[in-house]
Amino acid sequence: MPMYGDLGNKLVQHAKRTQNLAHLPPYQTELVRTVTREVRDLDKDVASLLEPFQGSFDPAADQATACTLLVNHLSMRRNKRCLLAYHRTRTDKLEELAWSGSDVLDLAGQQAGGANGAPAGDSGASSSLSPQEEDYFRQYGDLLAAYKGQWTDIDLTGSLEPPRDLFIDVRVLKDAGEIQTEYGAINLTKNSQFYVRQGDVERLIAQGYLQKLG
Amino acid sequence: MDIDDILREVDPTFHAIPQEKRDLQELTRAWIAERSAPELLPWPANGLFERINSNIKHQIEKVEEMTGDMDPKTNFALIVIQTELERYRYLVRSYLRARIAKIDRHTLHYLSTDALRSRLSEMELAYATRHQALLHNHYLSSFLSSFPPNLQNLNDASAGISMIEAPDLESAVFIRLLKDASVAARGVDEDDDAEMKESDIVILRWSDAKPLVDAGSAELV
Repeated sequence: MPMYGDLGNKLVQHAKRTQNLAHLPPYQTELVRTVTREVRDLDKDVASLLEPFQGSFDPAADQATACTLLVNHLSMRRNKRCLLAYHRTRTDKLEELAWSGSDVLDLAGQQAGGANGAPAGDSGASSSLSPQEEDYFRQYGDLLAAYKGQWTDIDLTGSLEPPRDLFIDVRVLKDAGEIQTEYGAINLTKNSQFYVRQGDVERLIAQGYLQKLG
Repeated sequence: MDIDDILREVDPTFHAIPQEKRDLQELTRAWIAERSAPELLPWPANGLFERINSNIKHQIEKVEEMTGDMDPKTNFALIVIQTELERYRYLVRSYLRARIAKIDRHTLHYLSTDALRSRLSEMELAYATRHQALLHNHYLSSFLSSFPPNLQNLNDASAGISMIEAPDLESAVFIRLLKDASVAARGVDEDDDAEMKESDIVILRWSDAKPLVDAGSAELV
């Protein structure tokens, strides 16, 4: 027989699993809805339990009811914590993705091959994000861009590895077209190898077009 | 009469180190401290980052100027400048990111009192406020709005447990003493009070180290 909080526990397990995954698993719409409903039902229970007392409930006089109330009270709060934890874990993940420069399309879990910056737009494919999460992701992206915009010379989302060499060897993993550097244009065709300035290609490495060698 | 500037002029150490270099040292220190301290440290208020920004801009312009001519000799200087620039940028980036990570982790805590808010720069404050609003909105639209009204808060403190998490001020840090000082530290079994010499390095709780660091008798390493 299912008990109060069982479903909340499931959410936490989902959240725990999410922490170790590289991608974001599908949003548990049904589970979230059920847990929320449980909270509402419990609240109704509390209200109807308290109703006959007309605000003059004495826990010492009616210990059985007091105990029920306490259990309901704690279950509701526990469910709330579970929901918060679940959503926060996912938004943390989303923020991480925003910092690493992904966009919503990549998140839909489509194939990695055709990521040539096709114009975004809801492609009907089932997304692993809830609509609210997509909103959040977009708004957080805007917020991040605004904050980043005040540090234009720094490139806040750049690599957090301390720079060692100005120039690095890279191998091209997928065609990335031509890029402009201060030493002229380079044509990045698959499997070719270049010695380039790290700052010029950082984005391309992060996006998986290039691989740093050595 | 204010004679500070006159005294400063005859102070040999003042002119020996140019402003740019002192800024870099200050940034490096702030960066190390920020990365070691468990809680957010105050944003440097003395215009350090305005100077740093203008230095970086200046160097970028210089690089652009120099790229024009490809003489091998200046080319070498160019590489040196660019390398230095990359490192400088890395310091600033890493510093800002370390702060943002802390702010994101305990947003409500840092927004809760004026004393804590004053540790954030204006930009960070704007970011934190907006971020918290986004999160709250997200919770509301995902599930919180269908909760009974008395359960919709994010800052309950029922049963003596606050919903707002704060950084752990009891975690351990390493500090190096900058001058002789007496270090009082609380331990698990017993407390210790020791006279330490300059450049000694000790590990202790951040809450015990903080007064020393604030007073300038020690720095985080």
